[in-house]
Amino acid sequence: MAPDEAAFRADVAKAAFRAGAAEGRWRLASIAWPFAEITVFARDGREVVLRFRCDGFPQTPPTAQPWDSERAAPLAHALWPRSHGGRLGAVFRPEWKGGSALYLPCDRESIVGHDEWRSQMPSKIWRPAAGIIQYLELVHELLNSRDYAPPLGAAA
Amino acid sequence: MKTIDIFFQGEHGGQIELTEARPTETLADLKARLVQSHGVDPDALVFGEDEDEPLGEDLVIEAVVARVSKLHFSRCRKVEVTVAFAGHKQHRAFAPSATVAKVKVWAAKAFGMTPEDAGEHLLQIAGTHDRPAPNTHVGALARKTCKVGFDLVADERVNGDCGQGGLI
Repeated sequence: MAPDEAAFRADVAKAAFRAGAAEGRWRLASIAWPFAEITVFARDGREVVLRFRCDGFPQTPPTAQPWDSERAAPLAHALWPRSHGGRLGAVFRPEWKGGSALYLPCDRESIVGHDEWRSQMPSKIWRPAAGIIQYLELVHELLNSRDYAPPLGAAA
Repeated sequence: MKTIDIFFQGEHGGQIELTEARPTETLADLKARLVQSHGVDPDALVFGEDEDEPLGEDLVIEAVVARVSKLHFSRCRKVEVTVAFAGHKQHRAFAPSATVAKVKVWAAKAFGMTPEDAGEHLLQIAGTHDRPAPNTHVGALARKTCKVGFDLVADERVNGDCGQGGLI
């Protein structure tokens, strides 16, 4: 097993990740290196699956996109979580890179070209020592914030 | 033999930790083991998460997990918490097992925030950029000093130029 995969598997075995799972905040669905699917639970109980790409973990930040596990394909934009006009909508942006990455400073793809984020939002810059729960905490907070709204295409 | 996962934090370290316990053993038994394996202080009190008073150490694990989801080990009976916001400070003593989420609810109310405003703010350890996870116990941040200070800060919206070719 490559060192990055071993490091990721050790990270999701840590107590902090398992505590989040035990609390119903997220759940590891699968690992097919260099990808990992992790479900994050929204305030209404809906599941948002993120497909992480984690090669180079933890020194290289991960990147993640909303994912449709049943279709094994990117989540249709109509099924993305929606915003009431606040912080969630600034991160879940289907138009950003075609929906292939969340617009977060800790995302590998999104930090590119945004060096100003390092001084503007230092708490959201990827920290290898914090591991994957740094990304998950940010997403979970948004999906459980007052700005969250269910997707337009969701069944009633 | 059946064992139960026990998540715990404490003054001995800032991370959530995990151990296993037998349903029939007592908290005293568990603590004695953690003194050896995890550096828990022998004089530490044992708290249930977000509970105000320490647990009796004669309680068996099966009864403990039916009541609380996580434990905290600390010699601090209380942690003096200070939260600063907009040039003002609020103080209150919490049990060391109080979560950051619980402290934030109190702080937002103490500063008279609306639920909407509260949702846009979070607790950051004073003088740092560290924003502990909501399930962090204040005792794990206070360590052996029995006090911790926070700033209540706006959770900034991620914005910026999307870059050349980023938008479709």
